[in-house]
Order: sequence, then C-alpha cells, then structure tokens
Amino acid sequence: MTFLPEAHEALEEFMRQAVADKTSLHIVGTGTKEKLGDMVTADASLSLAHLSGIVDYQPEELIMVAKPGTRLDEITVALAEKKQMLAFEPANLSFLYGAEHAGSVGGIIAANLSGPRRISAGAARDYLLGFTAVSGRGTSFTSGSRVMKNVTGYDLSKLICGSMGTLAVMSELTLKVLPRPETSTTLSVKCAALAPAQKALSAAFKSATEPSGGAITRASSGALSLGDEPAAAHVRLEGVAQSVADRTSTLCDVLAEFGRVSVLEQDASEALWQDIRDIRILDEAAEQVWKLSVTPSHVSEVITAITAQTVIRFFCDWAGGLIILSGAGEGLHQIVRSAVEAHGGGHASLLRAPDTMRGAIASFHPQPTALAGLHDRIRQSFDPLHLLNPGKMGSVSRDA
Amino acid sequence: MLMPAPDKTTLSRRDDICAALKAMLPAGCVIDDDATMRAYDADGLSAYRQMPLVVVLPETTQQVADVLRWCRDNDVKVVPRGAGTSLSGGALPLADGVLLGLGKFNQITDIDFENRCVVTQPGVTNLGITHAVQDEGFYYAPDPSSQIACSIGGNIAENSGGVHCLKYGLTTNNVLGIEMVTMDGDILRLGGKHLDAGNLDVLGVMTGSEGLLGVVTEVTVRILRKPATQRAILVGFDTAQEAGQAVSNVIAAGIIPAGMEMMDNPAINAAEDFVQAGYPRDAAALLIVELDGPEVEVDYLLDRVGEVMQRSGSSSLRVSQSEIERNQFWAGRKSAFPAVGRISPDYLCMDGTIPRKALPEMLTRMSAMSQKFGLRVANVFHAGDGNLHPLILFDANVEGELQRAEEFGAEILRNCVDLGGVLTGEHGVGVEKRDLMGEMFTEEDMKQQQRVKCAFDPGHLLNPGKVFPLLHRCAELGRLHVHHGALPHPELPRF
Repeated sequence: MTFLPEAHEALEEFMRQAVADKTSLHIVGTGTKEKLGDMVTADASLSLAHLSGIVDYQPEELIMVAKPGTRLDEITVALAEKKQMLAFEPANLSFLYGAEHAGSVGGIIAANLSGPRRISAGAARDYLLGFTAVSGRGTSFTSGSRVMKNVTGYDLSKLICGSMGTLAVMSELTLKVLPRPETSTTLSVKCAALAPAQKALSAAFKSATEPSGGAITRASSGALSLGDEPAAAHVRLEGVAQSVADRTSTLCDVLAEFGRVSVLEQDASEALWQDIRDIRILDEAAEQVWKLSVTPSHVSEVITAITAQTVIRFFCDWAGGLIILSGAGEGLHQIVRSAVEAHGGGHASLLRAPDTMRGAIASFHPQPTALAGLHDRIRQSFDPLHLLNPGKMGSVSRDA
Repeated sequence: MLMPAPDKTTLSRRDDICAALKAMLPAGCVIDDDATMRAYDADGLSAYRQMPLVVVLPETTQQVADVLRWCRDNDVKVVPRGAGTSLSGGALPLADGVLLGLGKFNQITDIDFENRCVVTQPGVTNLGITHAVQDEGFYYAPDPSSQIACSIGGNIAENSGGVHCLKYGLTTNNVLGIEMVTMDGDILRLGGKHLDAGNLDVLGVMTGSEGLLGVVTEVTVRILRKPATQRAILVGFDTAQEAGQAVSNVIAAGIIPAGMEMMDNPAINAAEDFVQAGYPRDAAALLIVELDGPEVEVDYLLDRVGEVMQRSGSSSLRVSQSEIERNQFWAGRKSAFPAVGRISPDYLCMDGTIPRKALPEMLTRMSAMSQKFGLRVANVFHAGDGNLHPLILFDANVEGELQRAEEFGAEILRNCVDLGGVLTGEHGVGVEKRDLMGEMFTEEDMKQQQRVKCAFDPGHLLNPGKVFPLLHRCAELGRLHVHHGALPHPELPRF
C-alpha cells in the first residue's frame, strides 16, 4: 500500500499517525530515481506524486512555488513560456534508471542533482529559497522565504537539499528561477590525452569568457566518441548573441594552443550538453555507474589511479571536477574511493548498481567518525525515530 | 535588550578559568585585563556593550579545539568573533562567556588559479582575498560594505551579502569548503576544492549560523575572473513608486544586472552634500544600475536598460563614460551611511528584504511610519534583490528618541514580513532582531531550528542569547509530542 496525499493537511495527518504508530516510511516523489541511494526497508510507502502542481509563479520576482510531486517537465514548460529556467540545469536520469520521465521537482531537490551549469551558476541547493515540510516528529515547519536575499535563522534549505528524504517530507518548495540565455555555443578542442584536455578547460575558465559548462568526453565514453581522439574538451558559452559571438572568438584563441578547435552552434551545442547532463553517453548496460566529485586539476591522477586497477568508461563535467564513470566488479567502490581520497579529496557516490550490490556498497561516500556522528545527530533532530527513508543514506546508529 | 542572566558560579570561577586558558595557550593569547578587553566589548552594533569574562586569541586550529573542549567540559560559554563588524550584535560578548577571537588566523594559505579558489584562514579580510588575486585578474565576489575590515570567517557566520548579490550570490553561493571546530572540540573538514557535500550539506547550514554551531578555522572560496567591462547608469525618477516599478521591469525584461541600487530623496541629498557625485537633487528616487561582462554585452544591455527606464518614466538618465565616472556614481551610494551621519546625530540602519514588486507599497508605508514616529528616514536599497536599508535618523540625547527609533525599526521589519519578505537580508539576526523572530517563524519553525543547534551544541554554550528569543533546553526540544500552545517549562529563560 502506498499513501498518496493530495494536500499538506493530509500529509501531516498521515505523518502524525505514522509517528504515533512508529511506522517507518519509504518516501518517493514520482519514483523515477528510487534506485539512487541505499536500499530502504520500511513498513509503509509514501508517494508525493499527487501532491503536485505549481502554486505560484512570479517571473518578475524570479520565484516559483511548487508542490514536490510536480513533474519537472511541467515546470520546465511553464518556465520556458516566460523565457526562464532552473539555472542549475536539473538532470533527467531516466536513461540511467529506465524511467519514463525526468521525475519530480521534489526528487531533484531531495537528491541535489545539478547539471553542467553547476560550475558557473551553482547547485540545486543554491536555488531552494525556502520550503514547508513535515518532520519525522509529525509536525509541520517552514524555513527560508520567497525572497532572494534572506539570512533569517538557519538555512535549513541547504540541509533538506540532498538529504534524500531522510530529514522531513516537503510539501511545498520555493525555487529561485533565472532568465534563459538567449543563445549558446560550444567550442570543442581535441587533445592527445585527459591531462591536456583538463588544462584546456582550466585555461577557458581562467579566461574572461565566462564559460557555463566545461566537459571532457573520450572515444571510450560511448555514443559521443569523437573519432580516435583520446579526449575532447568542450566549453559552453551562453548569453545574448552579440556577447556569445564576441566570447567565442576570444575563446578560440585561448583554446587554439591545445589543439584544433571546432564550434558547435546552438542546436548541436544544446544536444551535447543535454546528453552530458542526462548521463546518456555511457554504456547503457554498465553494471555500475559512479559519480565522483574531485578537485578539477587532479582529475587525471584520479583516473590514472583507477584505470591502473580496472577497466572503466568515463566522461568529465564541471571543468573536470565531476567524473561520471561506469565499470564492474565487487571491488570497484574501493578502487574509486581510495583514488579520490588519495588525490586531492572529494567524494564518490554510487548512481546505479544491481540490487544485490546496492545492499553491500554504501552509495554515499563514508564520512570520518566525528562528521558521521554529527550527521546522525542532525538526522535525529528532524526524525528521532528514524522513520523517514531509513538507511537511504547509510545506516544510522540508533539511540538506546 | 535582555541577555541571559550571567551564571554566578562562572563569574566566581573567573581566576581559575583564566589560569586554565593561559596554561593551554601560548603567552599573549589570553587577555584578562580590563583596559585591553575593552576593545572587545562591542561589535558593529555599538549601542550594546558588554565586557567579556576573558578574551582568548588562539593561533592554531588545535588550540581552538582545546579551548572549546575545555569550555564544554567546564560548562563555560563561548562567543566567537571575527573582525567584530557585525551590525546585528552577533559578536556581542557575554559577561560569563569566553570571547574567542580569530584575529591571529590572518594568513592566506593557498591561491589556486587552476581550480579558481583560495584557501585562507578565517581572520583574513574579505577584501584581502581580492587583493591577493587581483593581479591575475580575479576577485572574490561577495562585497559587503565593510569589506575592507570584515573577516571571511565572519562572512561565513553571517552569510554576508553586498551590492552584487543579485548576479553573484551571497557568501553561501561562493564558499566551497571550511574547516571548523565543534563545541565538542572535534575538527571537521567540510567540502574543499571539489563541489557539493556528497552527504548532508553541513557547510550550507554552517553558513549564516551566526556563530551558534561551530567555529570556522579555515575557508575555501571560489574566485571569479574580473569582468572585462563594468559600466553604470544613473537614473532619476519623479516618484519613488515609478523607480520601484522600473526595478521590476528590468528583471521582467530578462536582465540580471550586476547591481541595482536605489536611494530616495533624503539619501540623494545627503550623499550629494557629502561627495558631490552629480546626483539629481530634485529626483524623488535614484537608481544606480551596473552591468558587467564583455564590452559588446555591456553596450547592448545598457541600451536595453535605458529603454526600460524611459518606458518606466525616468526623469533623468546618465551612462558612465569612464571608469572615473562609474566610481563617481558609486561614491555617493557607498558613502550614504556616513553622509547620513552628517545630517543626523545618530541613525539606525535596518535590513529587511521584501519582494521587489512590493517596493512602491513599502515606500508609501515608510512615509506614513516616518510621520507616525516623528522621525526622518533616508532609504538606501539593494533594490535588485529587494533588500532594504532604511536609515532612521534620531538624536540619542533627546529623551525617548532611541526608543522611538527602535520601535520604528521594528515596525519596518514587521511590514517587511507582512509584504512577504524577511527580517534580515544580510546583517543577521544577532541580538538586534532576535525578539522579532516570532514575526516570521512559528514556535514550531524555531524549535526545529533549535533542534539543529542541539545536534551541534547540546549545552547551548556557543553564542547563547543570539538569534532565538527563547532558549529551549535540548532535552525538552528532543521530546516528541510537545503540547501546543501551553508553555510547559515556565522556568526556561525568555529574553
């Protein structure tokens, strides 16, 4: 049985009862990314698919208020009508998870999933201005606001974002939205190896051309392979047409020293970044897919450390700071995580694996003891009975 | 302003506490004589002063951890302090609390252009970061008006803003990582040169937590390439309402300027008297709009902003033709506070945010309130993001004027909330707006925030008396099914 509330009041009532009965809950938005995170074992299911709809959209205030089950598609269309967007470029991971659509806005926020523009515009967490939720105490609370600039009280939006439904169940979110860029162009440069490709991205981001995306694909990345070239660096420029043209010319000069530069105009450019955003350029049948957040200048070392031990396919985004890789084997998580830790630090999260493996591998990067203890205490402050998506972000040490 | 009653036992143990701190810190790191401690008795909200129990100035993260753990074990309160420029009393000392100054953490440790970030100790000033990277054409974007003096650690505590937040975000959007020490003395590293938390975003909740959750001992910030061109446009309006509408019209046209500031007539004239910036003295309101980026983009957007302004009924319009002229446009705005200081013996600076579209309504209400309280007000706004800085003019030497000014200020903030806004856009709650928190949050909203506090500091030893009007015990907050409406613990301190 899955409970599908249609209003905040029904959700609160349900949660109050769940707390009274100590019923643990498996919570999903529209269920498109259920396989993201650790496996949840719970007494009952709660879906927010019917707690849906845009509540308020004020283009001139740059805000949109929506219920968590609102489909991302619906939000994207409403924003596009006013030439606006979610600037963090939420990913559509339906390819990865075999889902039928991009999922809900609540799911995107709960997973803090940001696309290529993360490097310039910020993450999902930077666009959640406020929310209303019901905590694991069965009580409703609100945090944040509907204005851009607010420092009143703790910024609980940051905690909720990326908490995978383990702190509270959102019933309404306020998002900051931004104007869509008028046009975009991508400059691609073919390089001999990963290291010079990363250097090319670094040069682009150090220049005054304001790139809004920086990715590296390889022949072995999958569908987007560029001939026999070992690596290709892609830099996206967005904005008003005159500005993009001017910056394209400047950036061509910057990138020329790294190899032959080609320019992808608007449609081709958009298609490339959509594929990168949605992780469509990896091998569809891969056993495991990982997401690594690393120091951009260390990307080559991290990859070398991994490929010395196992075979992977990968591509990079976020100017080299994000590695999406696919591979196989029971030891892959150790190889990947020790490579990240040994080369500049960061974290590695498991995006996809067979259920048999998901039970054995922690999806989220293990934390040092003191920090893990703090995470546990923060979770308990919202959900003292561990009722909300228990185990989704790793095991929580239970109170005596 | 009522602060928690000092703990008599702690006060009586002062000599022992000072001796213990001196034993764990190098010579010169503990200040316990009144004359030297006097320098720490207030922050930027200087209407409130309090001598601390003792001041410590540790030199290393380990020393910070040692002090915090000792204070926790001995039940002694701690107030962290950066450069002491808070406008909300965030670093106001407690009579029974150790004031923990981070002033000796004044080194930039790593400048990394490849990854476009800087790793620094928290006592380095905001502008110090820009100075360290500007020769390579980079800068640190958040620019609070105190940037010459305020520390980056304090910026994290307050989630500081500035003139360019509209396009470049607040501190929280520009910090990549921190090293922090909890009240337990645990040293935690959050984030770094990579992006995102990978688990709960503790960095996100630390930013803007006003020194209540932990002490920041190292900061990694992202730096940006300086825009190729910056130009400003100065636009006068016959009514403040038209100016307010023009601000909304710019955003509605799909343009996000680097900054969009507004001044009303009293502020225009005060600034003009002070620095002769060339402002139109007869305008009811003035907008300064700054655009940055490649030259062709700035030229194009200047034209478009100009069209929007004319359509919105502007009475005068000037575009900066040189860097000197652009700085001149800003000179008046940036000196607005001291300029107002010249025309009034005292002033209170408020800091609410409202939805942009409510600007005209807010200005109408402001005039009415000014009449009601019999006090003048000069308005300086970060109009682009709806952040208001009304300056309430008064004379502290006139009986009752300070109180009336504070009541005026509180009413302004209540109106901000009433119009869909918030109590503070960038200055923080501190002690100044603490007792107004209930205007914006329900009891349950605040309880959940305080439960997060309990996860970090269950003894309420770190900066107590700030932000929250009621200090709940963590044991009470942790309990389930708290009865609504009733006050179950009348013995709890309320202030």
